[in-house]
Amino acid sequence: MSAAAIRTPVQRLLQGGTPIYLFLVVLIVVAGVAAPAFLSAGNVSNMLQQLAPLGIVVIGQTFVILLGGLDLSVASVMATAAVAATSFSGRDRDVPAIIGVTLAIGVLVGLANGLLVAKRRVSPFLATLAVMVVLQGLRFTWTHGAPSGNVPGLLRALGSQTWHGLPYALMLMLVLGAGAAVLLHRATFGRRVYLVGGGPVMARLVGIDTDRITIAVYVISAVMAAIAGLVLSGYVGIVDNFVGRGFELDSIVAAVIGGVALSGGRGTIGGALAGAAVLIAIFNAVLLFGLPVQAQIIIKGVVIVAAAAFYVKRH
Amino acid sequence: MTTGRLPTGLIAVTSLLLLLLALGAALSHSFIQPGNLLNVLEQATDLAIVGLGQTVVVLTGGIDLSVGSLISLLAVLTSGLIDSDASMVLPVVAGVIVLGALLGAINGLTVVWLRVHPLIVTLGSGAVLQGITLLYAKGPVGGVPDGFDFLAYGRVLGLPVAGVAVLLVFVIAALLLRLTPFGRYVYAVGDDPVAASLMGLPRRRVLVVAYAVSGACSALAAIYLVARFGSGQPYTGANYTLASITPVVVGGTVLAGGRGGVMGTLLGAYLVAVLNNLLNFLDVSSQMQLVVQGLIIILAVSVVIDKRRVVA
Repeated sequence: MSAAAIRTPVQRLLQGGTPIYLFLVVLIVVAGVAAPAFLSAGNVSNMLQQLAPLGIVVIGQTFVILLGGLDLSVASVMATAAVAATSFSGRDRDVPAIIGVTLAIGVLVGLANGLLVAKRRVSPFLATLAVMVVLQGLRFTWTHGAPSGNVPGLLRALGSQTWHGLPYALMLMLVLGAGAAVLLHRATFGRRVYLVGGGPVMARLVGIDTDRITIAVYVISAVMAAIAGLVLSGYVGIVDNFVGRGFELDSIVAAVIGGVALSGGRGTIGGALAGAAVLIAIFNAVLLFGLPVQAQIIIKGVVIVAAAAFYVKRH
Repeated sequence: MTTGRLPTGLIAVTSLLLLLLALGAALSHSFIQPGNLLNVLEQATDLAIVGLGQTVVVLTGGIDLSVGSLISLLAVLTSGLIDSDASMVLPVVAGVIVLGALLGAINGLTVVWLRVHPLIVTLGSGAVLQGITLLYAKGPVGGVPDGFDFLAYGRVLGLPVAGVAVLLVFVIAALLLRLTPFGRYVYAVGDDPVAASLMGLPRRRVLVVAYAVSGACSALAAIYLVARFGSGQPYTGANYTLASITPVVVGGTVLAGGRGGVMGTLLGAYLVAVLNNLLNFLDVSSQMQLVVQGLIIILAVSVVIDKRRVVA
């Protein structure tokens, strides 16, 4: 188990998480100076809008990675949630039903992932990969390859409108993030997640039901992905079978940049969300600097390896 | 390490394959015809070759998530540089294979030097390679001279050249892994890296070579795909990153490293090809084929509980 779990939040901020927050601030200042448009109200609002769905996925992904796992099925869950959002009449009165169906899908997928990993001891990579493929096939069959229908206005508002420049979707992300942080850093459940992630054998020896923790964590991740799928469908407005494509890898990249160790047991929700913000800021800055869009991918690749190498050296 | 007794993974994939063939024979008369089975042999080529390199990396305890982007890059380079000029075929093909091995070796060196998890290293290098690919080509690029498709569709004495070549390559790879010291080191490093280092095995060199082999295999797959489709595209390889894992694990190689082998991967690739072929015969939509494929992965990896895996 990592010592980070038993530090006070202040100590954690000063010791464990500082580099990513510092890096985020430096990145914002440098980008703001180099391209003043970066810090314009419109651009900031736009970036925060894009941060929300990624951040919500990252929250769930962080739980899984803290346990030493990985969730490759999140993008598929997002697309399935988005398809569900347009499978009704497109009117606001269907929103409760959409939310219910979406959350149910999230819980089911999370249970499938969690049971495979905990009870059948399938590696998380494979379990979530296989579930992703199955889910994709079922979605294609349901939509016959081409989803149609409209996203209800209420979801459109959630995904794309702001309150004096502050996107509603970001508020939702912050609320979910705060809840997750309390659960992880303040509740017994969180302690157990760190314990199991830091050393499953030891955790079992002290009497923790590791299977239950594992299943719960995969359910959290899938539910977060389902919520993010609704937010993203509200942002883009139109739905295809691949809403959220790339989010499985981007959410892992963000968490790793934010100091969450793939080996488990180390990292914080705040750090992971800061990692997501770094990723969004870099994507945005690349375009503002007039670099070709391909540079986004190249820089992302370099940054994740550099960040991981940085954390390896530190520990 | 598995010597002596037949490993359970190999038994599982063989039975599953035989079961599918029997099912196919029972359901459709034309399925079991030699002509169709030779087609299946041919159709397994790309997955088998990428899976071969992936197997060697997984045996060392690593994973190579850059194969998809690498295939895309090498495919656009192959057709882009040959550009329908017959005299360019040999130098470009040789150059692409060398480049594939070199880029793979860079993956291995990064894993060794930075001590970063291979998943992160190859995810990162995969992103960089995809970016470079898109800078070079935004759509299909160049072309190949007539006759290049022999590599994909050629038949000698009625036998598919690509399918037979794959079979030979796998037999050679299996022998190398079993009989040479280097092959044993691959298993030892994957089984217990610390013990391997303590015994003085060249752990770093083994890792670099393993990733180089994977890179070279991606190059072969890229050349095969260009031969099949006539030109390379910037997303030619995109699906192979995750798809290449399927034959490896279905064939009984354990993601944790140290256990499994290439023959299982070959059977795993045949299994996927037979499955897709059979589902086509049964008129199952390509969407439901995905579902079945996912279920097969789940079945293959969850039937036998890996007792050495400790939770999560």
